Amino acid sequence: MKPAAHVELADLRVSTGGRNGRELLRGLSLELQGGECVGLVGESGSGKSLTSLALLDLLPSGLKASSRLRVEGQEIVLGSPAHAALRGRMFGLVPQDPLAALHPLRRIGAQLVETLRFARGLSRQAADKEAEELLRRVQMPDPRQALAKYPHLFSGGQRQRIAIALALATQPRVLIADEPTSALDARIARDILDLLDDLRREQNLALLLISHDLPLVGAYAQRLLVLRGGEVLERGDTAAVFAAPGHAYTRELLAADQLRELPAAGDDAPVLLRAENLRMRYRGAARDALDGVDVELRRGEGLALVGESGSGKSTLGRVLLKLLRGAQGRILLDGVALDSLSARELRKLRRRIGVVFQDPYASLDPRLDIACIVSEPLRIHGIGDAASRRAKASELLQAVGMDDSSLDRYPHQFSGGQRQRIAIARALATSPDLLVCDEAVSALDAHHRAAILALLAGLKRERGLALLFVTHDLAAASAVAERIAVLEQGRIVESGATAQVLSNPQHPHTQALVRARPAA
Amino acid sequence: MQTLRSLPILARGCLAMLAALALICWLGPLFSAYSPHSPDWNSLSVTPGSNGHWFGTDAIGRDIFARTLAGGRLSLTIGLLASVVALVIGLGYGAVAGLAGGRVERAMLRVLDVFSALPFLLVVILLLTLFERSLGLLLAAIGGYVWIDLARVMRAESARLREAPFVLAAHAAGATFPQRLRWHVLPNLMPLAFVYLGLILPQAILVESFLGFLGLSVDEPSASWGTLLAEGVQELDSAPWTLLFPALLLVVTLAAFQFLGDGLRDWMDLRGEAGRGEGGRGEAGRGERAESAAA
Repeated sequence: MKPAAHVELADLRVSTGGRNGRELLRGLSLELQGGECVGLVGESGSGKSLTSLALLDLLPSGLKASSRLRVEGQEIVLGSPAHAALRGRMFGLVPQDPLAALHPLRRIGAQLVETLRFARGLSRQAADKEAEELLRRVQMPDPRQALAKYPHLFSGGQRQRIAIALALATQPRVLIADEPTSALDARIARDILDLLDDLRREQNLALLLISHDLPLVGAYAQRLLVLRGGEVLERGDTAAVFAAPGHAYTRELLAADQLRELPAAGDDAPVLLRAENLRMRYRGAARDALDGVDVELRRGEGLALVGESGSGKSTLGRVLLKLLRGAQGRILLDGVALDSLSARELRKLRRRIGVVFQDPYASLDPRLDIACIVSEPLRIHGIGDAASRRAKASELLQAVGMDDSSLDRYPHQFSGGQRQRIAIARALATSPDLLVCDEAVSALDAHHRAAILALLAGLKRERGLALLFVTHDLAAASAVAERIAVLEQGRIVESGATAQVLSNPQHPHTQALVRARPAA
Repeated sequence: MQTLRSLPILARGCLAMLAALALICWLGPLFSAYSPHSPDWNSLSVTPGSNGHWFGTDAIGRDIFARTLAGGRLSLTIGLLASVVALVIGLGYGAVAGLAGGRVERAMLRVLDVFSALPFLLVVILLLTLFERSLGLLLAAIGGYVWIDLARVMRAESARLREAPFVLAAHAAGATFPQRLRWHVLPNLMPLAFVYLGLILPQAILVESFLGFLGLSVDEPSASWGTLLAEGVQELDSAPWTLLFPALLLVVTLAAFQFLGDGLRDWMDLRGEAGRGEGGRGEAGRGERAESAAA
């Protein structure tokens, strides 16, 4: 066994250069021991990625960093050749996006062998053998065959395993994993983190786990740092932090993942939306994206459609919105079959359905001001004149917790959470009966997510809105939906009251989803 | 205007030079003592500099300086008008095809393929010889030659916009096809179209010169750079300066447009990136990366 690594980073400060340079990291201290996992948690822009880049001496040019760095008792000057030499030998990096980290045109065997020969000076045969051994160690099925394949042939989880193997090839003693699972489904994310945890123990590695997901990190890290805006808000043993979070922000992050329970809706409300036997196959796809799905939604009720990526949940949302060509099946809104309508009648009926999409950055036309964006549905249907539409826009913005000063500003002047509020205001412009949210909170940071979920739950209650909530996030689903439907491979495998399904899942797939939650 | 300052220095220089050139071509004849059309019988085929003919004269005594400026005026005007024609057609066609999607888009793309497969210059030459030549026909011919690539670029961008959530949201809210086109797609295509104007302008000028060289552009006594080149080639042995000056100006103009076009394209990319950093467009993931790198 190799001697345990010991890295001490004290008072790390990073700032933008120039006269009015901003401080992006204000005095972060960190200690890593061999065999230990330290979690670094924060939202985007908190400086967590800067920390990993600073450790690796890979900060973007133009940023200035200062710190005292001690590696195995040796003082290292930041940015010195000695620091750069630690890359690979001491620090290995597990990237966020394994697809971007692997060369798309070279077999993964070639990529591993190249690294092994360069970093460890192995002979061709020895490197071949070692590459296979590395893939075995990251529990890659059939490592010998895998070596001869190209990266695109692997699934996201397998690619991340390959990226880990690549990081291990140089025999680092500290693994820095920067959001290693944010591109993966919850179940696969757990597998990857389990693997990292095993490797840490077997090889006495120090693991720096960087993520925005506090509960997830909490399940693996022994010690924690919570970052926000470049400042360390909280540090300590994981158990202690979870038991008694010292900072309000930490409590917020912890609460974001809690399952909630809405009072069950009465079954007496009239059915608003009914869909029967929906089928959809994309051009050139091997199987149906939707394979006979039935949906029923009552007035004022929230229905969550949950599933992993590729389960067909987003397709279902879009089919119900009549945004996709080539879907089969019957959709009835208030008993009126949408297929029987003319194009003109269908457009008129669209007033009654609002929609909010996932990406707050692409949801708003960058060239229009907010007044124009929010009142667009009114303009489309020729409701009111310019002045009354503006008044309505201001009213809607207030309803979503924003004020009049936003009316004449443009989307790029707002944060992601604010934009999502604006998108919700737009969806409500024509006073719809149904709001379809396609992953509406998954691109948001924890505290924005909680605020938007609260807003949606409030709007639903006050306006009697029916909510169709497409998501992969069970906690978010439980916050707004009384009923839940679990999709797998284009079929609904389980549905029922949210609380009941989540506390006592029947179908194996649902059980796996519930188990994959870190708090479970 | 303030944003123009972020344009690369080379592109800015070219822009200034082209503006100066256009100005001189338009106003130059006012300062020249000689008309581009009337011969100076006392100085036939004189070398540059003699008798106040800065660029010399041709075989029948017409002032080359005046003729080059007049030719430039015509070439630039025809190039600009033809580019605008091409831009309007290409933008409209591409935007409609991209937003429509599905079968309509595929059919419209096939039409473009057919157009690119035609030996276009041959068709243009045929048209210009068969029909009575007019400025309108000339503009249509040149515009018709350069619009195809433009339409392809616009189609691709428009198809991307079709799937953009803000266009989907408009669709879901009940917006008609023309509404989506007018409110969202066309305004968002404009910056790209503006950049491509800088790229197709030199193409249009070149095509015009080519047609002029073949004697298919404007008729005597009017002159464009192309017709001047044709005249100059005939006098190459006796009076090489008649070819030299128009050719030089044409080359300088085209080169300047090329640099300007490249500069504009890079500038657009940079602005696109910056826009993404601020969260202009593009996926959240990219936005976050830019944020963490910049922040």
